[in-house]
Amino acid sequence: MPSNGDLDRQIEQLMECKPLSEADVRTLCDQARAILVEEYNVQPVKCPVTVCGDIHGQFYDLIELFRIGGNAPDTNYLFMGDYVDRGYYSVETVSLLVALKVRYRDRLTILRGNHESRQITQVYGFYDECLRKYGNANVWKYFTDLFDYLPLTALIESQVFCLHGGLSPSLDTLDNIRSLDRIQEVPHEGPMCDLLWSDPDDRCGWGISPRGAGYTFGQDIAAQFNHNNGLSLISRAHQLVMEGFNWCQDKNVVTVFSAPNYCYRCGNMAAILEIGENMEQNFLQFDPAPRQVEPDTTRKTPDYFL
Amino acid sequence: METVVDKDVLKSSGAELLPDGRRGLRIHDWEIETLRGTILTSLAVEEWEKKLKTSHLPEMVFGENALVLKHLGSNTKIHFNAFDALAGWKQEGLPPVEVPAAAQWKFRSKPSQQVILDYDYTFTTPYCGSEVVEKDKETVEAKANPKGEATLQWENCEDQIDLAALSLKEPILFYDEVVLYEDELADNGVSLLTVKVRVMPSSWFLLLRFWLRVDGVLMRLRETRMHYRFGEDEAPTVLRENCWREATFQSLSAKGYPVDLAVWSDPSSISQRLPVIKHTTQKLKIPSKV
Repeated sequence: MPSNGDLDRQIEQLMECKPLSEADVRTLCDQARAILVEEYNVQPVKCPVTVCGDIHGQFYDLIELFRIGGNAPDTNYLFMGDYVDRGYYSVETVSLLVALKVRYRDRLTILRGNHESRQITQVYGFYDECLRKYGNANVWKYFTDLFDYLPLTALIESQVFCLHGGLSPSLDTLDNIRSLDRIQEVPHEGPMCDLLWSDPDDRCGWGISPRGAGYTFGQDIAAQFNHNNGLSLISRAHQLVMEGFNWCQDKNVVTVFSAPNYCYRCGNMAAILEIGENMEQNFLQFDPAPRQVEPDTTRKTPDYFL
Repeated sequence: METVVDKDVLKSSGAELLPDGRRGLRIHDWEIETLRGTILTSLAVEEWEKKLKTSHLPEMVFGENALVLKHLGSNTKIHFNAFDALAGWKQEGLPPVEVPAAAQWKFRSKPSQQVILDYDYTFTTPYCGSEVVEKDKETVEAKANPKGEATLQWENCEDQIDLAALSLKEPILFYDEVVLYEDELADNGVSLLTVKVRVMPSSWFLLLRFWLRVDGVLMRLRETRMHYRFGEDEAPTVLRENCWREATFQSLSAKGYPVDLAVWSDPSSISQRLPVIKHTTQKLKIPSKV
């Protein structure tokens, strides 16, 4: 078992955006699994804590997030999933967050997002990035096997309920969530899928997506859920918003999105939600990291398109 | 992104770049410019939803992005923007397309509490550009006063865009591409509307492309090309070709094409495999000077 000294060296290396060796990733994922398997579907979290939304492999913006919000472990963090895919540095981003989790297990909570899945990562970038950076899919397998153990939701001081997507018609209470068997690939259907995929909507009740799969929940649903479970707020991620955060449903729900200039071209701000020692809320917005070495995703070279 | 073009080439083509950091150029009585901004703010999203009478917009709407081509002599303006494109989407109102996961979906909510959303989440649009004649310079900003603007008529024609001429490697004096809107379909594929333009010493050419891939279900490509040759001063005419292509993954698989998603990521390289379902060619006569 690597010592804290080894881990500190790995974290230092990752902070410079240098990926770990395949063997180090394997060991790291083994250690992380041993920690995560002990965590709950509704993982209790103490304040003060800073709540963050989607990161999507935007490594330098994650470093900017730590600069704005304070370094781990000086600041406690709760990340609501979607560490990988879309951005250029999914490997470094998820490696760093998992390494920090192993090093400071009580100071950092990492939840599962809908992108922490075998199927989604094969389409939206993480799988390809692993192949490119390691020459094989082993690292992708270590991480996606680990993702099965990530908690689905967290509860800050029994008041603020945090998760990636949203509510489910099959889950009226936190106890319903506690009784889910979460250690599996994200299913295509069912309550676990809803928690990672659903969105708030202007319409009341449960909306069935026009795609024929996926739920939206109305303000009545969110208010009822908060009331039934003694909650003051549902904090979730999953949707891009220009300001980085967005209150909705009469302040029963807030969306937090922490990838600035999403996909390197949306021009949006990122935000994180600081919850203080007395549960006071403070949003910090931030712009992309000044040091952007990523190539612009829009095509720069004139082409003789026809 | 604009090209770094040799000043001499610009000069000998009678072109000059736009001043003050604007992207674009003036050439042969045309001013061609691209505009860029961020995605809509939450406030703007609300305004657009109200104006478009919808409660759903693509997750990335670049409301300030545009390509504008102005014929200075006649004040004819051809332009491309997200708002008009979404108005087209709203009007066409195609029925929703089910994703593969729908087959396994179970309705677990109480029917009394349940509403089935039925808007076209693919944001498919028939949009092929906007055009107006601005009566005088002052109406440029006064969009609220449509009286100053006369609409233009595209007429069907037999002419074809001269692809051979466009294949010549003439120097490109200006090139840019802007995204008008984009949606990831909740990780079920992509819906993307972009417009790109290139200006050469002899002509300008543009391509507006709506590209849709619903993973495992279908692909849709709706392209509008416009071409204008400089120097035909007696009857200046813009030629426009619309080409709509569409195929289901099932039909492609039946033809023996792979259905692996990686193969279907770039619309330019796969467009030939998608059957044409609609093709029209039209021309627009630029009115004489006002």
